[in-house]
Amino acid sequence: MHRYALAYLVVAVALAFFLFPIVWMFGMAVKQPAEYFSTPPVWLPRAPDLSHFRQLVLNRSINSLVNSLVIAGGATLLALLVGCPAAYSMARFNTGGRNFAFWVLSQRMLPPIAIVFPVFLLFRIIGWVDTYQGLTLLYAAFNAPYVIWMMRGYFRDIPVEVEESALVDGASTLRVFWSISLPLAAAGLIATGVFTFIFSWNEFLFAVVLTRARVVTVPVAMSGYFGSQSTFWGEAGALSLLASAPVFVLSLLVQRYLTRGLTLGAVK
Amino acid sequence: MSRTMRSFILILAITLVGFGWTAAGRAQSAADIAVKAAQKYSGTTLRVIWEAGLQAQDPLTFSGPEWKRLTGITLQVVETPFPEIFSKIVTAHLGGSRDFDVISYVPAWQADLVAAGALEPLDPFLDKYMPRGSLDDIHPTYRQWLNWKGKTYGIFDDGDVFVMYYRRDLFAEPANRAAFRAKYGQDLVPPRTWADWDKVCGFFTEKYKPTLYGCAIQRTEGQDYFWTEEAMRNNGVRFFDPQTMKAQINSPPAVRTLTEMVNANKSMPPGVEKWGFIEVFSAWMAGKVAMIVTWPPPGRWSEGYGNRVEQLKWLPETKVIGKVGYALPPGGHPELAAAFNLGVSVESANKEAAYLFIQWATSKETSLKRVMLPFALRDPYRLSHYASKEYRALWPHAPEYLDTLKSGAERGLLDLAIPGAREYEEALDRATVAVYAGTPPKEALDKAATEWDQVTQRIGVDKQRQAYQEWASKPNAYPH
Amino acid sequence: MNGSRLSKYAMVAPAVVLIVSLTIFPVLYLLWISLLDWDLQRAGRAFVGLANYAGALQDRRMWEALAHTLLIMVVAVTAELVLGLVLAEVLAGPLPGKRVVIPLLILPVIMSPIVAGYGWRMLWDTQYGPINQLLGWLLGRPLTLVWLINSKTVYFSLIVTEVWQWTPFMFLALLAGLVAISPEIHEAAAIDGAGRWQRFWQITLPLVRPLMLVALLIRALDVFKIFDTVFSLTFGGPGTFTETITLYVYLLGFRNFRLGYTAAMAVLVLALVSLATTVLLRRFSDE
Repeated sequence: MHRYALAYLVVAVALAFFLFPIVWMFGMAVKQPAEYFSTPPVWLPRAPDLSHFRQLVLNRSINSLVNSLVIAGGATLLALLVGCPAAYSMARFNTGGRNFAFWVLSQRMLPPIAIVFPVFLLFRIIGWVDTYQGLTLLYAAFNAPYVIWMMRGYFRDIPVEVEESALVDGASTLRVFWSISLPLAAAGLIATGVFTFIFSWNEFLFAVVLTRARVVTVPVAMSGYFGSQSTFWGEAGALSLLASAPVFVLSLLVQRYLTRGLTLGAVK
Repeated sequence: MSRTMRSFILILAITLVGFGWTAAGRAQSAADIAVKAAQKYSGTTLRVIWEAGLQAQDPLTFSGPEWKRLTGITLQVVETPFPEIFSKIVTAHLGGSRDFDVISYVPAWQADLVAAGALEPLDPFLDKYMPRGSLDDIHPTYRQWLNWKGKTYGIFDDGDVFVMYYRRDLFAEPANRAAFRAKYGQDLVPPRTWADWDKVCGFFTEKYKPTLYGCAIQRTEGQDYFWTEEAMRNNGVRFFDPQTMKAQINSPPAVRTLTEMVNANKSMPPGVEKWGFIEVFSAWMAGKVAMIVTWPPPGRWSEGYGNRVEQLKWLPETKVIGKVGYALPPGGHPELAAAFNLGVSVESANKEAAYLFIQWATSKETSLKRVMLPFALRDPYRLSHYASKEYRALWPHAPEYLDTLKSGAERGLLDLAIPGAREYEEALDRATVAVYAGTPPKEALDKAATEWDQVTQRIGVDKQRQAYQEWASKPNAYPH
Repeated sequence: MNGSRLSKYAMVAPAVVLIVSLTIFPVLYLLWISLLDWDLQRAGRAFVGLANYAGALQDRRMWEALAHTLLIMVVAVTAELVLGLVLAEVLAGPLPGKRVVIPLLILPVIMSPIVAGYGWRMLWDTQYGPINQLLGWLLGRPLTLVWLINSKTVYFSLIVTEVWQWTPFMFLALLAGLVAISPEIHEAAAIDGAGRWQRFWQITLPLVRPLMLVALLIRALDVFKIFDTVFSLTFGGPGTFTETITLYVYLLGFRNFRLGYTAAMAVLVLALVSLATTVLLRRFSDE
């Protein structure tokens, strides 16, 4: 019993430390200016309302949610589309060998600043700055290595025998990939897709460089509330809630795959 | 036709002709010419880059809808935080995409924006549409901002100048006056030097804290350089040696200036190092500070003008109505901090319409309405604004307020405006914040001076010497 | 199993095209720009060979930025490891209710770093933030620390924020490692008379070591590239006191538009990260 008491104490402290900032942030969304501009700070809003959310609609920050959804969603689909066949080929036929697999993984590690700078200069030539296709393709390209690496692992988990019987029946490689392997790796596929979506949804550096007005994403919209002249705490709180809620829900869906997904498959 | 009918038609005809005449007479004004000429662009959209937040409320809720009503042209506002505006304009231009038609930019950056090729010269449009003499109404100090190397790139649109606000009631209170005299042997009056400012500030802080502090100035990063540039020049600092172009911002008077600035923080409210514009005037309006130095808008709001409109509902209610005194900041030469020009983007597909919007928005009539918007951050800048009967009647002390703004414009100091301005500003800003964080002033300024020299060398010493000498020869470059 | 040559390469091709065109090709372009004198404040551009690199290597601000980055990296990752290990050790056991606790603990990892950074900026605020208030209660006197400006506290604030967001990652990875250790090993050791500490050092640690190294390397590489947290919390300030290498390159490129010079510095960063990545990849057991 003593052992549990200590454990629960640690857990309680940890929960307080990890959750308090989130609760405080979200609390801003329903506090009135007089409350968040008060010293000492007010913990519980007296008359919580949705006025800051209304403000997000009025100043069109809400559009950034749509932009983020389109861009992160599109990038995820594209990355899965090009990544899965490649992963399958590598998992089953050892295409390119071990070095190629590591080359792919190394692409994932590239410092974004070294990519975004030339990409910006290239995009300006073809007019892709501040466009949906520009950011979507870049996110897809930056996450494709992740998809390939993870899916390669998931395909390897599938027993080869299952596929061999189909091949014996005369099915083509593509057919086996599409109707047998992919469904068997569905859980991994969804988990990988969810992670790709979360990475793209949360990304800031590419977005702040490559968007200006039309396709501003949520993180960039968030930075707009912190000027040197004025800080819009209420709106920032409201936006932080809208930005976090979707990814929180998604993370619950892939709970079982979180560790594997975050450690690049180092943990199975 | 009955007689009644006939006389009705007659009256109608006379009225119509009369209207026609009036319209013809008024067609001379810059605003009307612009509206009339812009009507052929009805149905198009102009994209404008504007500072985010309260600044943007003007085009969003006033000039945008009004322009749409008059011309059928839609104004789309791209809100951008102040420190990002410059890079957004340049990256947009670099990107070559048609992001903005109208650019609201800080005049000090004009040289760089022109060098980058982002701004369209306005002279052909001015010749075609601007009635002769309409720009002469802009205060002569601000008129210096319109041109660069002989061409006009922007029309001035925002009369920024630092103002000192002080609490009349506290300065007038006999007990305070007596105590101050007893302590310092001088009268308790709004300070005219920074040394006196420190005495007065310390006096009030000591007496009233923590309910009230003697003074507050925004000290957060990003716009500190305005205060540093102002205080340094009031102390006799010159930014460069005009011959060698070596930076002089680490000279003994410059180091002394920054030392004074960081010392002044001691009597300010705790945490002032992180205060921005909002925090300073919130505290001011809540009656928690006795003196502040900031831009013009809080001077209106704290008198209750516009305090309760929708855009400002989130502000604390002002508790200092009738107690607000106006003066020039210590040193007597206030920074004409930032301000805005309106210009046309080189990439715009609709340059004429963009220009016409600018002509209309900055015209005598429209601009008066805009600087009188209760929530506006655009401040008076035309001689007719300062003299406006309407404006002067807005609150009891409004005449004094306008007169202070006008004399501020006269005696004010232009931001350093040579190529690389943004980099010089940022280096000075970083040095200032570093000093607030505990770095010795000499060390921080030596570093900033090195950075300034590097910028100068990179851009070219000869080029900078020429640009600087041209800038320094303007009457408002240094105290005069 | 053998696929037809054609289809096995055809399946890889689209991904390779996408990656090459949006990462490899830009990197080649970056290398080219780094050899140019190209600055938006002056017209024209010229080939200058390695001059930009020479300039970058003498850039005091770059070295300082590197030092800041390494400082944050070493301290934050160490703290994350220790805290993550403690949490994993606590939650690896058969603790009732842990299924509810774990998903809650990892929420910070899921959050956008820029959103988290801005959120913490509110928490650290001198007047309106709860941190000064909470510490004030503990100390029994009002506290008015200016966390994000004061040079004595700003790194602490930055690192706490970083540790808050990423400790759960370390925890998750280590938890997986600890759970995988079969209880029999511990029982056997206990029978042999080994105490809890002894078992931790001599059994647990060696067994999770490979996993721990991978997790450490992933984190270290990520922190080396840190941008969002610094951007939102301090923007490198006060002055350049917390400027990290990515932030400095960003400012050079997108605030000052010194394109050639920025490219050279970006190449240097790329080289450093690639070196570190090679070390990490060796740690990934492939099978």
